[in-house]
Amino acid sequence: MNPEITDMKSTNNELSLHNDQKDKTLNRIFEVDDLNVYYDDFRAIRDITINVFANEITAFIGPSGCGKTTMLRSFNRMNDLIPSAKITGNLSYRGANLYDKKVDPVEVRRRIGMVFQKPNPFPKSIYDNVAYGPKIAGNVKKGKEMDNLVETSLKKAALWDEVKDRLKSSALGMSGGQQQRLCIARAIATNPDVVLMDEPCSALDPIATGKIEELMTQLKEEYTILIVTHNMQQAARVSDKTAFFSVEVEEESDSRTGILVEIGPTEKIFSNPEDIRTENYITGRFG
Amino acid sequence: MQEQLRSTFDEELETIKTGILEMSKIVEETIPIGTQALLEGDLTVAQKIIENDDKLDALSISLEEMCYHVLTLQQPLAGDLRSVMGALWLNSEIERSGDLMCNIAKATRRIFPEKIPNAVASLLTQMSAEAQRLIALSAEAYLKGDAGLAVALDDIDDRLDDLNIETVEAIFETHNQEQLTLHVAVQLALICRYYERIGDHAVNIGERIRYIVDGWSPERTGAARLTQRGEKE
Repeated sequence: MNPEITDMKSTNNELSLHNDQKDKTLNRIFEVDDLNVYYDDFRAIRDITINVFANEITAFIGPSGCGKTTMLRSFNRMNDLIPSAKITGNLSYRGANLYDKKVDPVEVRRRIGMVFQKPNPFPKSIYDNVAYGPKIAGNVKKGKEMDNLVETSLKKAALWDEVKDRLKSSALGMSGGQQQRLCIARAIATNPDVVLMDEPCSALDPIATGKIEELMTQLKEEYTILIVTHNMQQAARVSDKTAFFSVEVEEESDSRTGILVEIGPTEKIFSNPEDIRTENYITGRFG
Repeated sequence: MQEQLRSTFDEELETIKTGILEMSKIVEETIPIGTQALLEGDLTVAQKIIENDDKLDALSISLEEMCYHVLTLQQPLAGDLRSVMGALWLNSEIERSGDLMCNIAKATRRIFPEKIPNAVASLLTQMSAEAQRLIALSAEAYLKGDAGLAVALDDIDDRLDDLNIETVEAIFETHNQEQLTLHVAVQLALICRYYERIGDHAVNIGERIRYIVDGWSPERTGAARLTQRGEKE
């Protein structure tokens, strides 16, 4: 067995205290306080302070290079995989410091799943794609129990009816939209708490996009969702809260840093934002 | 340097704004002409006002369609969205104000050939001037995006409301002195009501201008009172 996984299973960190109870009264899933993320000397995002609430969809919008993906990746410590990355400030998940040394990043990524821009199914069968996560986590046995989990996950991802008769065929034979829903099924098969989505529909046509969006609104009943999107209509359609990030350019050094301009209820952001920079961006006035 | 984008969209928004101001100007100019026709019993001018209302309707329709076009194709958001939604409201308020002048022109025909006594005529002239002033001020507030002036229209309209009461009293007093037939007295009382309604439309326009400027919807105050009383919608 992979030693890292053994290590994860034996980790009794603070996160465990909070996870399984899924305490709905603890409304704040993430509390981000003065967060800075650096890649070597380059500061990608500066002094970000936001709260993310349970069973809501929070959308991150903003121009390229504004740090929204960096912010998203901070929520499941994906930035740890980049050696030069370091963070300052505080990011807590269900009240526990996510970056505490005792916290196992692999366990973090099980609780906080991710769906990427380009659908990235494994070159395996549809069934095995969904079963992969629970299998390596070792908490679901093979056979009927796994069959049930695969079925439930595919149903939750609104994919079951389309694939139930070809579970053993390769995932690579599916359409782009189906592949992306498979990736969502794979992400939720490990029973996560949060699903992070990085431009999940940017490679999909409007119908496949519509299906993912519909799915997101169903999934938020059970999960908390954070989504990065360049499509403002998508943010408007699906999200409860919208955060607008922008780029601040320091003229002398020409260094660019991502900042959070404003976060608020989506309807407010798109009808009457507080900050003129938000207004200019969402009305498409300045590039 | 930031580059200015969406020039076509900006031109379309400007076209809508110019169109609304043009409609408002037509109503503003029709008010004194209609009043003069009423007081002088000039049926030719009255007829012209009725026909001219079709032009206002045509302009109103083309602006409404322009708003739908912009909503569909440009998908405006934030301040842009409020300006298009606001223009739709203003369009309907101004169009209705034009209809009220049309009603006054029709009443002019019904009153003919009877003369309107001086005391009443003088008050109607004042009402007409107030209604015209309110429409002009609402256009100014819209042009400048002046939420302060827009909100003040409600108070400014008090003068027209007072004049309405005063004029209606004068009409029935004159009728009691047998200087006016009941038929004419009723027509004149309705005319008072038409001027007074033009003032109300100007107040509504002001409220929608405030919405365009800062997003405040006028009926929120009433809705808040309902919530405060603990009643449901």
